Amino acid sequence: MAQPQGPLETRSPWPRIGWGVTILLAVASFALGFLVVSRPQQGGSTFGVWAAICRGLGVTSDTGAALELQPAVSVPSKIAWTSATLKAIGEGDVHNGETVALICAACHGKSGVSGSALYPTLAGMEAVTIYKQLDDFRSGKRSNGVMNAIATAITVQSAADVAAYFSSRSNGMPPPHGDPLQGGHSFREGNGAIRLVFAGDPARGIPPCTACHGPSEIKLGAPRLTGQQPAYIERQLAAFAQGLRRNDINEQMRTVASQLTATEMHEVAEVYGTGLSAHATEAGSAAAGLESSDVQR
Amino acid sequence: MPLKAHLEGCAVNGSRKLALYHYWVAFGLFLPAVVLGTWQMLMRSPLPAPFDDPDAYYASVTLHGSVMAYVLTTFFAMGFGYAIAATSLGRPIRGANAAWIGFAICLLGTLMVAAAIVSGHASVLYTFYPPLLASVWYYGGAFLLIGGSMIWVVLMIMNMTAWKRDNPGKPVPLPMFAITATAFLWAWAASGVLIELAGILLPRTLGWSDLIDASLARTLFSVTLHAIVYFWLMPAYIAFYTLVPQAAGGRLYSDTMGRLTFIMFLVFSLPVGLHHLLADPEHGSGFKFVQSALTFLVVLPTLLTVFSLTSSLEIAGRLRGGRGLLGWIPKLPWQEPMVLAVALSLVMLGLGGFGGIINMSYAMNAMIHNTAWVTAHFHLIFGGAVVIMYFAVAYEMWPRITGRPLVSKALARSQLWLWFIGMLVTTIPWHIAGLMGQPRRVAIFDYSLPLMKPIAPWVVLSVIGGIILLISAIMLITILVRSHFGERVLEQPLRYALAVNPPQRVPESLNSFGLWNAIVAVLMITSYGYPIGQFFFLKDHSVPAVQVTPQSPTRAQ
Repeated sequence: MAQPQGPLETRSPWPRIGWGVTILLAVASFALGFLVVSRPQQGGSTFGVWAAICRGLGVTSDTGAALELQPAVSVPSKIAWTSATLKAIGEGDVHNGETVALICAACHGKSGVSGSALYPTLAGMEAVTIYKQLDDFRSGKRSNGVMNAIATAITVQSAADVAAYFSSRSNGMPPPHGDPLQGGHSFREGNGAIRLVFAGDPARGIPPCTACHGPSEIKLGAPRLTGQQPAYIERQLAAFAQGLRRNDINEQMRTVASQLTATEMHEVAEVYGTGLSAHATEAGSAAAGLESSDVQR
Repeated sequence: MPLKAHLEGCAVNGSRKLALYHYWVAFGLFLPAVVLGTWQMLMRSPLPAPFDDPDAYYASVTLHGSVMAYVLTTFFAMGFGYAIAATSLGRPIRGANAAWIGFAICLLGTLMVAAAIVSGHASVLYTFYPPLLASVWYYGGAFLLIGGSMIWVVLMIMNMTAWKRDNPGKPVPLPMFAITATAFLWAWAASGVLIELAGILLPRTLGWSDLIDASLARTLFSVTLHAIVYFWLMPAYIAFYTLVPQAAGGRLYSDTMGRLTFIMFLVFSLPVGLHHLLADPEHGSGFKFVQSALTFLVVLPTLLTVFSLTSSLEIAGRLRGGRGLLGWIPKLPWQEPMVLAVALSLVMLGLGGFGGIINMSYAMNAMIHNTAWVTAHFHLIFGGAVVIMYFAVAYEMWPRITGRPLVSKALARSQLWLWFIGMLVTTIPWHIAGLMGQPRRVAIFDYSLPLMKPIAPWVVLSVIGGIILLISAIMLITILVRSHFGERVLEQPLRYALAVNPPQRVPESLNSFGLWNAIVAVLMITSYGYPIGQFFFLKDHSVPAVQVTPQSPTRAQ
């Protein structure tokens, strides 16, 4: 004979089963829905528990305690000019570096003088500059398939050694005091390219190239440019202007290069690469370059 | 006492007439709705269609949906319920007068709905999502139709309770237990749409309010929208458990499994409707997931039923001399429409069920949301698996109600086969078109567009299926009408399948609904309390309504 039972009667197994299963299912689905499914967000980050519950309820993030998406820390270079860095570069061994430089010879030329417009001359370049570029290639801050692979393959010590070796070579770039490009040119210089190199363009906020790249002054980490492959210089200017190269620590090259016209880039590279004399007679074309920079402004 | 016998005879006769009238409204409107459905398929296909008019298309979709989803199902379930109450309890229905009043109210509601749609002032589709606004006649009619069926709900519960009082300690017969579960399920389900109609839509159409809280309305409708599907399904499942084993000449594998199945449908079909709103912004991911997860649980009673049903059929096949692992299958009486229908129904239930798991899945729904895939799914499950059982039940009951034999079992079998083939030819291409991105509820497609071009052949194929379905529907009505005018023969009482172990005593929990309704109430408060409650203290989604007129939708004044 069936016993009369209320919904909470527990003598028959069915109320126990019914309530037990219901509570189990409810707890499980709520836990999954509010603590698991609601947590992940786009970009791999997750909400905290309270924020996930708010999201599960459909309370929007501006009223709930949602975590803000934090941008990843991004730096143009991993090099910082600390005394430790400079000490490490200073300890580079020229003799070892000569052995390491055998790797470089195929492209950068025997003993670091490049015979190709594609590759820069390294002989005579400052050790800190070479060391920084190798470090940027190693950390992926500067992009070049071959150089990324080589910089990753050699040790940090080898990088310091090879930098010391190339800087000690005198057959490539001229030493500071023997530079054929000499200062003394002013804003009244008729040739636009030469004016840019020696005086800059204050109206566009462009400082003179020589302030960092010689001959008058070499800033820490900046490469000497006199005698460098002009096509290489021009290509680097274009890369900075388009943001393809981003390892200038204070964005100074990206700021300057993005304001230059294609003609200006070409002529500035020619001034550094082939020397002042080649340009003294081409005032006309440089003036045209200046005009186009006016238009750009 | 001849007088008492005569009165009882009249009363039983009355119960029969009640069932017959309900069935006739259901099937009488079914045929024109199929005609509309076929025309709609032609209209949205690359083929030329008569009355090529988008306004007519949306009116037609509304009428087709309203008739199939509300009228056919509600009237069929009510008629089936009255027939079951009278035959399974073996006594006339208590409250027959109230039943006739309910019938009249529902019929009045149906006529109001139909008139409003035909006049072109209610092309809001059968889900009538605000801010689309139909005429007051449509909402009023829907309220009468659904509200009127609550009389049936009360009568089913009353008849079961009265029988239990008169037969203390005895188990309620499974058919009666199941139809009462259906009645409770429908009461819970209908609460959502009734509150939406009475609280939001009717006040707006009567001019008592200016704005419509569309999100609240959608959420309330979701309470109804999924459980209603199980309300449609339940008569088919009742036939699976109580009529199919009998028709196959066997016994029901387990009475307890039957009770558990209907209890689980009552519990698990209700707190799940948010899975229709997975793309809606007004609900958070948490409750969407919770209801999505609960939706998966209807797999349990479904698989239990497939197991029970197959076991019962195996018992029948072996009783008829079937041997070996599968040898019982050919021994089944396939000439019986009921046995054929259950096999065809299970195939469609299986295919449609797998599609449904994708619809209800929080992760996968986005692929097919609002595409032809969804239309394909519910046509396969409801229009296929469920409605084919409605046909079989009609073929089974018609002779018992009218006292006239079925005109031809062979014709009935062909009709079932055609319906099955037509439904597959219609819905399989729809599934594919949906995956290819064809949206549902769109009147006109430009099939010359590169994205639409590859879909066109599938749509044409589905039109062929639609024509097959139309032929089958015409055959159904022909069979039923012709059976009405046959020669009256000796009546055969409707018999329900006996269980292998007929229940002598069952635990009270499996013989009543108090416990299960308490569980449903707790589940509903847990899963719908916040999603509905938030609109009253957190969010306001009231917007101006868009009045539907025959020309074009314009902003209501």
